[in-house]
Amino acid sequence: MRKTIQALSLLLFTAFFALASYRLPDWLPADLYLRLDPLLGLNALLASREMIGRVLWSLILIGATLAAGRFFCAYICPLGAAIDGFDFLLFRKVRRAVLRTDSTLRRGKYALLIVFFAAAATGAALVYFMDPIALLTRFYAFFLYPLLLTIINLLLDILRPLFQGWGWVGLSHLHYPQPVYYMAAVTLLIFGAVIGLNRLAPRFWCRYLCPLGALLSLISPLGVFRRRVSAECNRCMVCQKGCPMGAIGEDPLKTGSADCIQCRECARICPQKAISFPVSFSGVGEYSGLDLSRRGFVYSVGGGLTLGFLSLRTPFASLQGRRQLIRPPGALPETAFLRTCIRCGECMKSCVTNTLQPSLWESGFAGLWTPKLELRMAACEPNCNVCGKVCPTQAIRSLSLEEKTHAKIGTAVLRKESCLVWAQNKLCLICDEICPYNAIVFRPVEGYRRPVVIASRCNGCGYCEQRCPVQGPSAIVVAPDGEIRLAEGSYIREARTLQLEFKPDPGDDKYLLEESGFK
Amino acid sequence: MSGDSGVISRRQFIITTAAGVATCVAGYPSFLHAAEEVDLAVISGEPATATRKALEVLGGIARFVKKGQRVIIKPNMSFARTPDFAATTHPQVVVAVARACIDAGAKEVLVLDHTLQRAELCLERAGIRDACRNIPGVHVLALQDRKFFREIRIPQGKVLERVEVVMDILDNAVLINVPVAKSHSTTGVSLGLKGLMGLIWDRESFHSQFNINQAIADLATVIKPQLTIIDATRAMVTGGPGGPGDVRKPNLIIAGVDPVAVDSYGVGIVPWYGQNFKGRQVEHLLAAYQRGLGKIDVEKLNIYKGTV
Repeated sequence: MRKTIQALSLLLFTAFFALASYRLPDWLPADLYLRLDPLLGLNALLASREMIGRVLWSLILIGATLAAGRFFCAYICPLGAAIDGFDFLLFRKVRRAVLRTDSTLRRGKYALLIVFFAAAATGAALVYFMDPIALLTRFYAFFLYPLLLTIINLLLDILRPLFQGWGWVGLSHLHYPQPVYYMAAVTLLIFGAVIGLNRLAPRFWCRYLCPLGALLSLISPLGVFRRRVSAECNRCMVCQKGCPMGAIGEDPLKTGSADCIQCRECARICPQKAISFPVSFSGVGEYSGLDLSRRGFVYSVGGGLTLGFLSLRTPFASLQGRRQLIRPPGALPETAFLRTCIRCGECMKSCVTNTLQPSLWESGFAGLWTPKLELRMAACEPNCNVCGKVCPTQAIRSLSLEEKTHAKIGTAVLRKESCLVWAQNKLCLICDEICPYNAIVFRPVEGYRRPVVIASRCNGCGYCEQRCPVQGPSAIVVAPDGEIRLAEGSYIREARTLQLEFKPDPGDDKYLLEESGFK
Repeated sequence: MSGDSGVISRRQFIITTAAGVATCVAGYPSFLHAAEEVDLAVISGEPATATRKALEVLGGIARFVKKGQRVIIKPNMSFARTPDFAATTHPQVVVAVARACIDAGAKEVLVLDHTLQRAELCLERAGIRDACRNIPGVHVLALQDRKFFREIRIPQGKVLERVEVVMDILDNAVLINVPVAKSHSTTGVSLGLKGLMGLIWDRESFHSQFNINQAIADLATVIKPQLTIIDATRAMVTGGPGGPGDVRKPNLIIAGVDPVAVDSYGVGIVPWYGQNFKGRQVEHLLAAYQRGLGKIDVEKLNIYKGTV
């Protein structure tokens, strides 16, 4: 029963992940799991000091946990399901003794929780690193999804001769564009570590590390389902050994309510059938395992503040906007963006052209995994606005296509010294050909038509940079200059105020006549 | 690859010769008559009806498509633009041609292009895939991977020695080119011959490495559509090829066997960038004409003009 619900939840998570793509309908919350996560939401609220509408969704999970305890971990959490699944595959036959450091380690997750909240208080949103939903979404986006498409394309290639033989035209021409991402290896390593730690103890991650589990366990003892052991118990200790969370201590009659995830494994394996989980409205469960010492608390707060300091007080912060870093259209102003973005990778997964990529060190420690545009590889598609739609904390605002068109992300700059036309008098007009806004026009200079960028018509989509046929770096590059980043309000109005127009106006093309294919 | 230099022209030569001999032997002069018929059909009207009429004037699609043959239709659907931008071929023109081919007994019809923007976006926006959805045997494909292309040599090439082209056109298929009429910032106009660039893998080198006008003429020596139908129901007279640009509505379908003649007529139907031109003034057309690929002087053509 539990496994079925777990599998269904993982499937649902996967389905929502798959739906986060160009065709996503407006009403469908593909980022549902991320929205439900109160840890991500609270951290973003605290770090950004702003109200975020989508974070209210997490009240559902908080309410459910208050009512029924920490069932999320056993039934809903997709990372929990993945951990259980891999546990069954890899470590089912491994005998795992109780770790001698169990009680110390158990405090670890609370220490981490405090570290993250203290860091958030300084304005550094770092919880993304260990939030289970963000972690799994990243793993899906940067590793699993590209791997899946590689396998599908490989199968298609292998079967292609058959398709051709049978005359199946559609299938014999089928090929999916292969998404690629930076940071895929790092993301895989982290996920691998989460799984590998299970070798030491079942659900190692959930017991000792998961900050979301820690947050939920703070309120879970209030839930109505309590483990009850009847007089039939003969202290055989089977339940204690079998509890995946190690929530049953020396006395099998007692339950660490904070650690209990209501999986009811103990009830299932009890030879005496002495364990049940009846509804009980009296009192509160036991808060065992929550005894972080005062010293530990102070250390954690200190650690969090230090992390916040280290990630924010760097030259990267002072150099904001002076670096070659193009953010997605609709991204909040940089400081707010860094505070709000939870690095889940949904925007990058859903990006129709694959231009959205996780940052490495471009904006320092505070900007790891944040989305940037890799315009030399692919452009930002004018007909797509999905990155904002799927952003669970609205670090990228969800904009209509019309608004998104006006959310200028930068301005194309011609590097005349490498441009084929400017430097070599060649007949190249690819940037003009591909520009969706006619922001590149040709003007006669020194007896030759040469491309010129009209900055007020360029919204930085990057088609020119991507398509420039010059080998190596493009001869036309989108720089952050002129980008519009609004925390609220209309981009269309702002663009109008700035006298920008991203509309067709082919008037300037008449200059073409002087030296075109026409003679 | 096996190299077959000039595989298309040689094969076509043999087929044409064989067909000619066969008709003479059989004593049916209809084939010769057909060849003497009009050079161009220029029909004014709604996209679908005008296209059908143009095919009829040229002797019916059966003249080009035989039972059981594979047909490749090459429209322009390279840009993720809706038809009203005139950056892509009108879906109804493609549908009319595709249906005619199927009705003539074609085994299958492949409507394909190597798109400039993401395949999915182009297919969705251009409307051709949707329009062809319910015609059995018609497949609309946007090819964006090198594995669907194969290198061939260009024996008569002046600037190009070899080029990678869509495999499907090498396979003894009938090729029908259905470009849209639009301006082009490099080549002046983009009609039939320029549209053939949608069948090659490395489009960019035409701009960066080679003289594009000569390269287009080179390409025309190896990719020879049996029929060219220009969709000039709308014409983007400035801002081409991607647009947005100034869209006129000549409401014309121009069809013919001679790719240079069809294009040359297409040049004259509207002023491009506000100025009138003739075929000879378009560099790539002139180059193709000089290679002997077709007639360029519209005055010397036998043109059927009609309205439907």
